[in-house]
Amino acid sequence: MYDTNRRVENAVTPDDIKIQARKVQVYYGDKHALKDVDVDILDKTVTAFIGPSGCGKSTFLRCINRMNDTIPIARVEGRILLDNEDIYDRRVDPVQLRAKVGMVFQKPNPFPKSIYDNVAYGPRIHGLARNRAELDGIVEGALRGAALWNEVKDRLGEPGTGLSGGQQQRLCIARAVATSPEVLLMDEPCSALDPIATAQVEELIEELRSRFSVVIVTHSMQQAARVSQKTAFFHLGNLVEYGDTDDIFTRPKDSRTEAYISGRIG
Amino acid sequence: MTDNPDRKPASLLRQDARTRARNAAERRFRWYGIGAIAISMIALVVLLATILTDGAGAFRQTYLNIPVTLDAAVLDPKGNRDPAEMAKVLTLTYGKVLDKAVGDAVAREAIQVEGLTEKDIKGLVSREASAQVRNRVLAEPELVGQTVAFDVLTGGRIDGYFKGRVTMESAERDSNTSPRQLQLAQALADRGMIVTRFNWNFLRLADASDQRPEAAGVGAAIVGSFYMMLVVLVLAVPIGIAASIYLEEFAPKNRCTDIIEVNISNLAAVPSIVFGILGLAAFINFAGLPQSAPIVGGLVLTLMTLPRIIIPTRAALKAVPPSIRDAALGVGASKMQSVFHHVLPLATPGILTGMILGLAQALGETAPLLLIGMVAFIRDIPSGLPSGLFDPASALPVQVYNWTQRSDPAFIERASGAIIVLLVFLLCMNVLAIWLRRKFERRW
Repeated sequence: MYDTNRRVENAVTPDDIKIQARKVQVYYGDKHALKDVDVDILDKTVTAFIGPSGCGKSTFLRCINRMNDTIPIARVEGRILLDNEDIYDRRVDPVQLRAKVGMVFQKPNPFPKSIYDNVAYGPRIHGLARNRAELDGIVEGALRGAALWNEVKDRLGEPGTGLSGGQQQRLCIARAVATSPEVLLMDEPCSALDPIATAQVEELIEELRSRFSVVIVTHSMQQAARVSQKTAFFHLGNLVEYGDTDDIFTRPKDSRTEAYISGRIG
Repeated sequence: MTDNPDRKPASLLRQDARTRARNAAERRFRWYGIGAIAISMIALVVLLATILTDGAGAFRQTYLNIPVTLDAAVLDPKGNRDPAEMAKVLTLTYGKVLDKAVGDAVAREAIQVEGLTEKDIKGLVSREASAQVRNRVLAEPELVGQTVAFDVLTGGRIDGYFKGRVTMESAERDSNTSPRQLQLAQALADRGMIVTRFNWNFLRLADASDQRPEAAGVGAAIVGSFYMMLVVLVLAVPIGIAASIYLEEFAPKNRCTDIIEVNISNLAAVPSIVFGILGLAAFINFAGLPQSAPIVGGLVLTLMTLPRIIIPTRAALKAVPPSIRDAALGVGASKMQSVFHHVLPLATPGILTGMILGLAQALGETAPLLLIGMVAFIRDIPSGLPSGLFDPASALPVQVYNWTQRSDPAFIERASGAIIVLLVFLLCMNVLAIWLRRKFERRW
């Protein structure tokens, strides 16, 4: 049922750990949304988080770049290490963290500015380009990286909001890629896209893996199986099972995982 | 077809009773709506028509064109044409010179009106006219000794006669005029000596006393209102917008900010006269600022306008989709960068609209200004900025209130004219608000 070539790819996965989460707890007010999550996310790997709605997978994703800080009632405990540095250390400025850990959201959310300015915004605020030519180079590279360059190269001055849904999402990916992050978080990036746009984004994820660690939250188990090497299954705030994607989908250890992937829960 | 009528399959070609009732209800509701719109449109048309017919006269003014012999022996007794010396000659003297000129003109034209008295002839010109002549002579001393053609203001009743406000019948019962005087005025008009022109002086001059409505203008009120708007613009807009941005984007959500929020809403609902009392106590009695000054009016209006700017500004900020904030934070923008680079530009049309409507409300506010002494009789136009902020001034709505208190019906015309000026300013501000909203409106 799933692509058997996947095993070969898994074998070449470099096993240096990029993100290490230990005993992560998240509370929204009194609600204990995420319980005791321990996970090691590898560099240059696509890791998929699957699970039913409200299971905490997006919550955990937002912990990794501290987007939960923007929710006043959210409280995070435990440790998340990025390259062995605790990102919840008091000395860490979330702004600096988010330059290293980029994010693509569920709904395409380009700025209501030109395509060029959308991509150039991150490099500009982080001072990545010394002059216009360098910035042009970064923008072109990011748009090429997001497989959007050929479609928009003649209309960089047009508003990003005028693109189609799939193009908008790839623009958001280009925007995230432009700041040269080390980790790219994607929160259901294809849920608002049609199958063709989804296929393009998935192809893109495969390419992005060569440059950094990608963490993707998805509702589609087929998508997780197609794009990821590692899969984590969340259920009711617990990380139930984490392992190679093939193992999760073919030989799940936990009965809940099996029930979910075979469509009995969720 | 079955025997049971309840189970008969309903035809789509015929409305059942329920559908008919629902459609009738909808039709009724539409008519209520159209009726409501019609009533408000009629009210608006009646209001505008009344004001325009009453006030249009204020923009036209009747002048008497007569040659005045400026006798050097009377007007410059020392004979050295020194304005300082000539200033010692009182307006009363000029009045006599003018009365003689009018009498001569009437005699020269050989106008025959039965029973015409000297009082009727003197009353042709405004009490302000002698001051007009004096001012011009003091400005141009070389005129003394010559016979110069003057355009002098006619009296309020004569002015009213040519605008249709005063008739022969009303003059019969009026101690300030008489049918004979009106006949004389008509005869002079027939000879082209009395003319009606556009009244620029209405926009230029300050208020005038009860006996000379023809000389009253809204100049001081316009300048006062303008200075106050300047104060409001400089204070209320930056403070209001900064407060809104902080409360909406940066402030922690806790009991303290909740209390602030409730109080801002309450402040917006406080009757404006209360702000007047506050201004009287705080700015005049405590801080010692002068009464009737635009600075005090501006400060009071600033206090009043602040919540009215904060509330729409916060609403505009709240209306910016959170996905834009997430997007900015997601690429590593700081909170401040996300607000100033993305949220604020998107909220600009809403903020500008709220701001201009707040200013327009402040422009039309009367009650607090009465309490801080702006209802006083203001004879001089405030000087230029910045000292003009501390000069006594009036304001347009207060001037309207002031004139409607006067007994002479000519002031009703002036008050309506001032309302027209005020409405034109408000209309301009609203058009500006709409234009800015269109210009900055962007989709996302």
